[in-house]
Amino acid sequence: MSSDNQRFVIQVIDHKTFEATQEKTLLEHAEAHGVEIHYHCREGFCGACRTKLISGKVEYTVDPLAFIDDDEILPCCCKAKSDLILQIE
Amino acid sequence: MKYTTFNQQTTNPLAEPMFFGNPVNVARYDQQKHEIFEKLIEKQISFFWRPEEVDVSKDRMDFQKLSDSEKHIFISNLKYQTLLDSVQGRSPNIAFLPIVSLPELETWIETWSFFETIHSRSYTHILRNLYTEPGEIFEDIVVNEEIKKRAGDISKYYDDLIFYTQLWQTQGEGKHSVDGIEYNVTMRELKKRLYLCMNSVNALEAIRFYVSFACTFAFAERELMEGNSKIIRLIARDENVHLTSTQHILNLWQKGKDDPEMAEIAEECHEEAKQIFLGAVEQEKQWARYLFQHGSMIGLNEDILCQYVEFIANQRMSVIGMGKPFDISSNPLPWMNNYLNSDNYQVAPQEAEISSYLVGQIDSEVNAGDFGDFDL
Repeated sequence: MSSDNQRFVIQVIDHKTFEATQEKTLLEHAEAHGVEIHYHCREGFCGACRTKLISGKVEYTVDPLAFIDDDEILPCCCKAKSDLILQIE
Repeated sequence: MKYTTFNQQTTNPLAEPMFFGNPVNVARYDQQKHEIFEKLIEKQISFFWRPEEVDVSKDRMDFQKLSDSEKHIFISNLKYQTLLDSVQGRSPNIAFLPIVSLPELETWIETWSFFETIHSRSYTHILRNLYTEPGEIFEDIVVNEEIKKRAGDISKYYDDLIFYTQLWQTQGEGKHSVDGIEYNVTMRELKKRLYLCMNSVNALEAIRFYVSFACTFAFAERELMEGNSKIIRLIARDENVHLTSTQHILNLWQKGKDDPEMAEIAEECHEEAKQIFLGAVEQEKQWARYLFQHGSMIGLNEDILCQYVEFIANQRMSVIGMGKPFDISSNPLPWMNNYLNSDNYQVAPQEAEISSYLVGQIDSEVNAGDFGDFDL
């Protein structure tokens, strides 16, 4: 298993590329780097932060309840488990 | 098919469709066909709250300081929300329970509707505090033309489904004449009405509250009517859970993960369903116009509110496969997000309490080691 201080490269298409650790959620990392992802609940039940995952793996910190398609993730409640390519609109 | 409150036939709820299969018999939650509804029940119950817990006494003084146009905005929104929750506090029960076939979905519908009654009770709590005699406000809801316009559109899809279900459950499929009007009751027609009704409810939960929410939170940004804002935050959180449930239902149908006939109907009625959503968007914009007819409020005007409705609509239409029809990609009211998060931590200095009910507070496993740093 990966240790907690592992860092992954998150590429947000047409925005920025930044590094993410396991300490914060993807949404928190994106915010810290000025990448605007919409959100409401920050707890996985509303789906406002729905984002396309082009490649890579994530791990959820809580069970995501909102409806998401197979190629989508909820950055408010997941962490990177590999390098990621994301697309936000 | 006649409804029975306890179906004595052995059924397999794992093989039933969400609606129009066999009536539910045993309320069991050890297994679920669609486990999402069981999870939503748990989530919603963990959000239980009582209006009386929120202190709204300071709002009375704030209210006296509002201008007449601001009072109009505040009270009109409360009336509109009272209408919405009056409908939602009963209609999912009356329309969906007689035709539901899964125990977890049946209980989800009851849980959902029950929470809407808490919202209704909170409007009385707010109004009682603002007026010695709030009766007049409630009485206006049934006669106010602007509210009536919306009430008609909101209730008609429910009423239509309920009526057809009643015909079907008492007289079966076929042509039935009631008060000189002939109705052709077939399973296909029933399912079509269910599909349109679910779309109308989804649009209601998705956008009909948001003009009103925006006004409430705009007052709170000015540190006005904060008790009210606290209540509306709790309501907004619940509405997000309700919306998630209708989004799941619509997607389960569309993606062929439930009743295959519903997948066909979803395709067939796609345009009509989209028009229902767009109609609700239009009505919300008209509502913004009505609210601001005597003047705007600080931080909000009709234009920006309409943009916000379009922004929210884009997001919520794309979840259910309706695309993003409006040309807006960034949030015109970013501060709204601070009020719409799930309240687990403090975001504004005037908000001090965490209002989620704690679950699993007592740990049943205690080891000797837990007392290691414990001195008597």
